[in-house]
Amino acid sequence: MVQVVLTKSPGFSEDAIRETVFRAMDLLNYNLKSDTDSVIIKPNLCYYWDYSTGETTDPRIVSGIIDWIRGSLGDDVHIYIAEADASAMRTKYAFKMLGYEKLGLEKKVKLANLSEGEIVEKEVVVAGRKLVLPVNKTLLEKSILISVPKLKYNRTVGFTCALKNIFGAISKPYKYAYHKKLAHVIVAMNKIVRTNIVLVDGIIVSGKTPKKLGVAIAGDDAVACDFVAAKAAGLEPNRIEYWKLAVKEKIGDVNSLVLIENPVKLSEIRKEFPKQNYLLQKWLWRLQLKALRTYARFARDIIPPVLQEDNLS
Amino acid sequence: MLLRVAVIGLGKMGKLHFLSALRFKDVKLVAVADKSRKNRKVAERFHVKTYDDYTNLIDSEELDAAVISLPNFLKKESIAYASERNLDVFVDKPLARNLAEAEEIARKVRAEDVRLMVGVNYRYFDSVQKLKTIVDEGRVGDVVLATSELVMDGPFSHPLVPKPVPEWWFDKEASGGGALLDLGYHLVDIFNWIFGDLEIEFSALGHRFSLPVEDSAVVVLKSAKTGVRCVVNTGWFSKMIFPNFNFRINLHGTVGYVSTDKFAPRKLYSHAMKEVALNSLKRVMGHQVRYLSYTYYYGSFTEILRQFFESLRKEEELPVRLEEQVQVVNTIDSVYKRFFESLRKEEELPVRLGEQVLH
Repeated sequence: MVQVVLTKSPGFSEDAIRETVFRAMDLLNYNLKSDTDSVIIKPNLCYYWDYSTGETTDPRIVSGIIDWIRGSLGDDVHIYIAEADASAMRTKYAFKMLGYEKLGLEKKVKLANLSEGEIVEKEVVVAGRKLVLPVNKTLLEKSILISVPKLKYNRTVGFTCALKNIFGAISKPYKYAYHKKLAHVIVAMNKIVRTNIVLVDGIIVSGKTPKKLGVAIAGDDAVACDFVAAKAAGLEPNRIEYWKLAVKEKIGDVNSLVLIENPVKLSEIRKEFPKQNYLLQKWLWRLQLKALRTYARFARDIIPPVLQEDNLS
Repeated sequence: MLLRVAVIGLGKMGKLHFLSALRFKDVKLVAVADKSRKNRKVAERFHVKTYDDYTNLIDSEELDAAVISLPNFLKKESIAYASERNLDVFVDKPLARNLAEAEEIARKVRAEDVRLMVGVNYRYFDSVQKLKTIVDEGRVGDVVLATSELVMDGPFSHPLVPKPVPEWWFDKEASGGGALLDLGYHLVDIFNWIFGDLEIEFSALGHRFSLPVEDSAVVVLKSAKTGVRCVVNTGWFSKMIFPNFNFRINLHGTVGYVSTDKFAPRKLYSHAMKEVALNSLKRVMGHQVRYLSYTYYYGSFTEILRQFFESLRKEEELPVRLEEQVQVVNTIDSVYKRFFESLRKEEELPVRLGEQVLH
């Protein structure tokens, strides 16, 4: 049986969010082993946009998780907040700008850049395809990994949550290089690095616009959590390529899913989510770029560098 | 007269200047310089000669002018090098990191008897040009209050293909400042250009992102010449996806008010389609297209560079005066000095002001 908890915060203050984290964890009833000596918390810091945009994990939810871990395991457990550099983001600046440096000092937890330190090349096969990915050794040696993804749409893959958050832990900064085989790499990374607990940050979600929804989704199965999160965002999980591949590769299970909805129903969240037809948006965006390139070629006009792919025209 | 020019620095803005310079009539883009091999490859695709060091470029090529698009900390030395070789210079804003540097640049340029123009492209928005005309013609009476907003993501804008934000933006010493020096520069420049002689009445800098430089600023200026009070609101804190941008100037006079919003396209996509159709027609008829006019925002970059080259070619006075730019840097530098002075004073107090307010 796979359990997923869907809960809602009574408000948006730090205390209300902390209370929500505790409720989610209590309902999930995850048993943290008393001999756990290190916990890695992996937020989703994809860029320098702060939590109010709905794009990056709210440090207040991570703060609540730290309190919950200490409440369960005591003060001696080593807690790390870990993130890797991304194509356009450097973790050292993201930690500073998005409130994690302050949180680390306040809570006395360490911040770890997964792009630095000892990196190992891990080989894995996904759908008959061999992939080799660079992973920080700390991530492989941890006792517990808590993934704290965002509940949001994404222009490249449509939707990003627990499975995609682990893709962000690849130590190579230029992850854009993986975009051509993204579904395979997401699943490969989830095969290499197993998440113990997922706590989806839906406090402020990012759909058509950001919206304060106050939602948290907890589980110990990334595939099941993504299933519930996608439904909450008004999407059909079966239309998300990497999710389908993850099911096929048995990363998780949704057949025996039990959803605990307290105090809110999934259908209510789905109604509230700022939905957008992302496939249409993606298609329109591509069409616009194509039309722009055709025009620029014809009129010999300039395409601004911000919209250039690789060839300037 | 054919102008022989070089572009120095192929970052985001440098690439735009490069693409513009390639298209101008009577301008020969001789070579470009950039430390990055990847950036130089861009120019090589257009069969333009490349150098990894701008000093080698300047020493080796026969040039009339240089377009300098380097990080703030490299501006002084590169302008000096180009002017010593008798080149006229176009440089991206800001002119300098601080007043001392700006004055040094101005002295050098005068001593070498070359011309320098700063790329304050916001002056070249149609909406700003119209606003200036309205003020000059007295159509809103005497302007008493002017407000402005330019709030975007600054160096944190996210291109289609993700690239890291250059590290110098995070370093106060290298950049000279944050949102005020980067985006606020345009607003101070426009107010200085329209009203002149600005004095600081109030200033506040914000640090939401805990960076060593400010990510927002509010400055109230007063024109000593005209008495107009000007409010500058600027920031880097807002996520902005192309083609959107958040800029406006409102002028309140003794006879009503006028805003740049009145003259800027309300629907950027409709504007783009109209401009694309017009430019396509111009191309068919063999006329000159208005480069980048479909974006509204980027068109002004091309326009100001075109004006610079035109003025050089016709040996006319440059449309942006160097003295004005030293004044703009002076105003911004004074805001920074006031800020650090207030921090120093706050540290000297037994109870910090912030704590006193909180308790």
